[in-house]
Amino acid sequence: MSKPEFVYVIYIASTPEKVFEALTDAKMSERYWHGNYVESDWKVGSPFALRLSRHDKEVTGEVLEYDPPRRLAYTFRAAHDGHASEKPSRVTFELERQRDQVRLTIVHDGFEPGSKVVEKISLGWPLILSSLKSFVENGTVLHAPWHDEETATSKESAGAK
Amino acid sequence: MSKPEFVYTTYIETSAEKLWQALTDGDFTERYWFGHRVTSEWKAGSVYRFAKEGAPSIEGKVLVFDPTKRLAYSWDSCSPEAKRERTSRVTFDMEPRGKVIKLTVTHDELDEGGVTFRNISGGWPMVLASLKSLMETGHALEVDPPSATQQEAACA
Repeated sequence: MSKPEFVYVIYIASTPEKVFEALTDAKMSERYWHGNYVESDWKVGSPFALRLSRHDKEVTGEVLEYDPPRRLAYTFRAAHDGHASEKPSRVTFELERQRDQVRLTIVHDGFEPGSKVVEKISLGWPLILSSLKSFVENGTVLHAPWHDEETATSKESAGAK
Repeated sequence: MSKPEFVYTTYIETSAEKLWQALTDGDFTERYWFGHRVTSEWKAGSVYRFAKEGAPSIEGKVLVFDPTKRLAYSWDSCSPEAKRERTSRVTFDMEPRGKVIKLTVTHDELDEGGVTFRNISGGWPMVLASLKSLMETGHALEVDPPSATQQEAACA
């Protein structure tokens, strides 16, 4: 059986530079990430954090790759909702210009077998990336006060392979 | 072992009625689906067809027609390289989430390692991103369709 991983591709009418900025800027991420935000000085080896506004724990990690505006990768250790015992996973973003758009590919892998985190992120990323697309294209984010319930419930997979 | 399937979820700020129209109205699909128009009577059991500039690209039968909630159809590609592959199935599920619609596309009953699986895995993210942009901004995306869909042959 293959290892659990999550792969998602989304096309955004923008430039790689703008999308890369949205992925790494705390203030911008807070808009489309529904109050959560990324924090790092984005040097390879530096700490990375995803501050979760509705939890007292957060996602932490380390910057693995920072190659604007093409590639970004960090480790992802979730400490909220009792996930602290799982080993860190890895998030990689790839940005490619295609005509007037950006093809953004996210690969979230490195999960241990039976991971609970992979179930959560498989529900979470489609919403966050849909919201990111709206934010970059329209300047508005998806109105999603139900964000927390969405990622906390349901066993379905959304894009997971 | 389970057959390959492709599942993709996106969230679109629109109404269920508008999104349903965008999925079933040829004037809409032509704008976000690489220029392909869909035509059908849209009853369970009736045929449907996508065509670009009159040349058919995809055809099949309507399996489920439950407006604003669920649409499903069988999927036969008119591409000659996919001719020997079995008929697959596409299901659109729409769930309202406040002002946003959660749209999940499930494409299953695909041949393992087949051309159709490869093409639709590349194609759906483009089509659905373009659909989302059209609904939210009024502008579809200009994307390059997967290469195989450019060499269409007429369906039988």
